[in-house]
Amino acid sequence: MHRVTLEWRDGREATVDVAESETVINVTEREGVVVPYGCLYGACGTCTGRLLEGNLVHSERPRGLKPRHRQDGYVLLCVAEPRSDCRIEVGARVQADLVPNPWK
Amino acid sequence: MIESTVSYTIMSTDEPSHSTETQGHEHHEVKGPGYPTPAAMRTESEREKTAFVMAPRVGMDVDGPDFIGVVDVDPDSDTYAELIDTVEMPNKGDELHHFGWNSCSSSCHAEGLTRDYLIVPGQRSSRIHIVDAADPRQPTIEKVIEPEDVFEYDLSAPHTVHCVPGGKIVISMLGNADGELPGGFLQLDQDDFSIDGHWESDRGDMKMNYDYWYQPRHGVMLSTEWAAPKTYYPGFDLDDVENSKYGDSIHIWDWETKEHRQTLTFGEEGLIPLEIRMPHNPEETEGYVGAALSSNVIRFWEDGDGNWEWEKVIDIEDREHPDWDMPVPGLVTDLLLSLDDQYMFFSNWLHGDVRMYDISDTGNPRLVDQVWAGGNFGDRQEVSGHDIRGAPQMLQLSRDGRRLYWTTSLFSSWDNQFYPEIGEEGSLMLKADVYPEEGRMELDEEFVVDFGDAPGGPARAHEIRWPGGDCTSDVWQ
Repeated sequence: MHRVTLEWRDGREATVDVAESETVINVTEREGVVVPYGCLYGACGTCTGRLLEGNLVHSERPRGLKPRHRQDGYVLLCVAEPRSDCRIEVGARVQADLVPNPWK
Repeated sequence: MIESTVSYTIMSTDEPSHSTETQGHEHHEVKGPGYPTPAAMRTESEREKTAFVMAPRVGMDVDGPDFIGVVDVDPDSDTYAELIDTVEMPNKGDELHHFGWNSCSSSCHAEGLTRDYLIVPGQRSSRIHIVDAADPRQPTIEKVIEPEDVFEYDLSAPHTVHCVPGGKIVISMLGNADGELPGGFLQLDQDDFSIDGHWESDRGDMKMNYDYWYQPRHGVMLSTEWAAPKTYYPGFDLDDVENSKYGDSIHIWDWETKEHRQTLTFGEEGLIPLEIRMPHNPEETEGYVGAALSSNVIRFWEDGDGNWEWEKVIDIEDREHPDWDMPVPGLVTDLLLSLDDQYMFFSNWLHGDVRMYDISDTGNPRLVDQVWAGGNFGDRQEVSGHDIRGAPQMLQLSRDGRRLYWTTSLFSSWDNQFYPEIGEEGSLMLKADVYPEEGRMELDEEFVVDFGDAPGGPARAHEIRWPGGDCTSDVWQ
């Protein structure tokens, strides 16, 4: 079991215990912690978080992320399982980082 | 499951319809679940009294599922322009988007069928909800087809729903079970909403999918292209356009044999062809598609030998904006034709206007009016004290062609890029009064439904439909 600390940009924080065989979204849903998600198989990016500290693995290919996103620490929490205690930035605004307005 | 009541009255709008059995008439009066002609729907139906509005909350920091909103649009009602009911989905994260009916005018002579059930897919979840809408003021969830049951057919990302003749429902599917290409079409049975399997028998070179329309009298179906779900789901990335990950073609199918027949490739003129509409007159063999990214409207037609051709008929010019580095495209995201096929309406979601064209000369659409509301160029940024978040997007026209309603959200992740305030505070439903005799329309400054105030938290209002059918749901044989 790993301690996963979730941090929102408005300063809120929550901590959940996640087993290595569970995804972060499985646990936030079970614990009633509101973290957005969509497809639940790593394609849509709605559950995007940014790993600030620790180690997570994707149990399925995170198809919704491009290589540049992965280099920058973005993870898809619907298919992400912890391998250590982690700190992750979460919330709808993190998803919006992935692709900015291309013309502005 | 369907209480088998044949309606011998014109299936109208707002009355509960499970038990509409009345006195018998001759067969030629039997209307089944729809109207015998587009004109019958336009002239003999009542004014819309309620609207079903998809209201996703996906991608928001809101603790709630998406819902189906019921909006009161009866001006004589005490709750006019209010959200009078919300049907929350059993799961979160669906992204309710487009939806359709179990049956419609295409099954005009199918006795025993009633237009009672809404088919409501989750674009992101791939979950499909069957909603009993017999009481239009109080719909209830009847059945849920779970994503795993859809993935079994190697399909995902359900989009356009049409009821089709022969007791079937066909849904365009944008991806395979991994959210990659190719997509296809999923067929459901109207009786028990079980999955039959793929509709298509041979998809030829079709890989991308989005919307479709069909003209059964001519045995033809046409489908459009967005991108692979894994491409468009996370947001709009110009690199993906440069790498040809977005569509630029439409596909012609044989409606009877379900085989792919022809691909019309537009190239730069027709990047991201989304909403496709054909005239309601079942004799017609032409139509229009809105190319969102190129911001063009393209007309297509059959040349007489079963071969299809196309031409660009409307080109929305990009506009300079002081706060933007590059010229802003209009982004033609939704388009519809009035039931009498005289007017076309479409939205420019990034500019902020909805336009009305006279299409009585189909190859030469004539701009007759436009309404600006919100967006990046609209002077008007509020209606009745409500800030307009977003811009005209999903459109719905009243059956009589006199009221145009729209909502202002496009797609959760794309909202985040272009109108991030929608992700915080939800979108709106607005309305214009249309005067077809005069070829003009006017924003109704009294009408606003702010989905930011929805019970349980804000939502992104999206597609709109009337009980009883509308000009984007029904097709005639």
